[in-house]
Amino acid sequence: MGSVLAASSPNPPPPAPGAAAAPGLTVPPGFGMPPVSPVIPPTGATSGQREEAENPLPNPGAFDECHRKCKEVFPMQMEGVRMVVNKGISNHFQVVGFVLCVLLSPDGSTVTLTNAAVQFFPVMVGDMDNSGSLNAQIIHQISSRIRSKVAFQTQQHKFVNWQGDAEFRGEDFTATVTLGNPDVLVGSGIVVTHYLQSITPALALGGELVYHRRPGEEGSVMSLVGRYTGNNYIATLTFGSAGAHASYYHKANDQLQLGVEFEASSRMQDTSVSFGYQLDVPKANLQFKGSVDSNWIVGATLEKKLLPLPLSLVLCSFLNHRKNKFQCGFGVTIG
Amino acid sequence: MSGANGKKGPSSGVMDWIRSACRFATDRNDFRRNLLVNLGLFAAGVWVARNLSDFDLMSPQPVT
Repeated sequence: MGSVLAASSPNPPPPAPGAAAAPGLTVPPGFGMPPVSPVIPPTGATSGQREEAENPLPNPGAFDECHRKCKEVFPMQMEGVRMVVNKGISNHFQVVGFVLCVLLSPDGSTVTLTNAAVQFFPVMVGDMDNSGSLNAQIIHQISSRIRSKVAFQTQQHKFVNWQGDAEFRGEDFTATVTLGNPDVLVGSGIVVTHYLQSITPALALGGELVYHRRPGEEGSVMSLVGRYTGNNYIATLTFGSAGAHASYYHKANDQLQLGVEFEASSRMQDTSVSFGYQLDVPKANLQFKGSVDSNWIVGATLEKKLLPLPLSLVLCSFLNHRKNKFQCGFGVTIG
Repeated sequence: MSGANGKKGPSSGVMDWIRSACRFATDRNDFRRNLLVNLGLFAAGVWVARNLSDFDLMSPQPVT
């Protein structure tokens, strides 16, 4: 498979729905964002700078990843039957195809093509379903500290979303600017800026500013974020005029991880709490995730690698007690 | 009639307070009530995660 990192990853990160503040594009399933190269320290540091270099504040990471650790513990909802085929064509290209059938009627098939050689840039990820809707991203690392991304989303022949962003990773801070759906003719668009600063090795504080404009209307929303990282836990809080989001991630041991999430929306006048856990049994090549939330939804997923075959089996079920709805899913991943 | 002017004893005031507190606690459409309940559930979840997760799944079974 060469240096294609995505193909070798046994547990692809789920898409991040919490990125709703930015125009809604997520990485296609099976792929994660490539990491930015580590910071190259300047040469010829003075003695004073050498002292600072001995205890440098770490880069806090991306703003969108503040709640990611907790969200990864929760099971992903899946309905119907799904088959995913990962195939590496060369060191630079990998194809992921998956067929999704909901109940007995085929909902669609999607082919994702990427040159997901993560050590090299640019990275291009493309995703097209059987109706012709395209979801594509081009990620390029301009320098050791600056990474840019351009993303498009179409529904059949019509462009629905287009955005570009640039991320700058400093020694102890990260700043991102995103421009979403700019339309010079109409005079509309969305600008999202993120800033995250390490205050201490454990504490990071930051903020987000969203400015949207269209003819006859403009507005802005601001929110603040704080993240505290302990020995085996991460506590994150985001609050602003739109609401609040708190998450707590706890790694009990190598087998057990837990997550608790609280969300409140002042616009929807709604709050919810979710509790989730992840059990890893590497000797059985098994991973189990379960969750329960305040909306009386109980869900679980079971993923098992069927070694020595290059197959993974995924079973998923979600039960909504309040609405008396039950969803179950079955998936096989090959490659 | 005693209390015709609406002078209530302290026990009726307490009962009224308890009644309004119960109505608040059981009103599922009240945003503030839901917020308080869910904050309490979040705190309970964090406590469970920190204090009740110290079991080792890979430890050997105890000999009986």
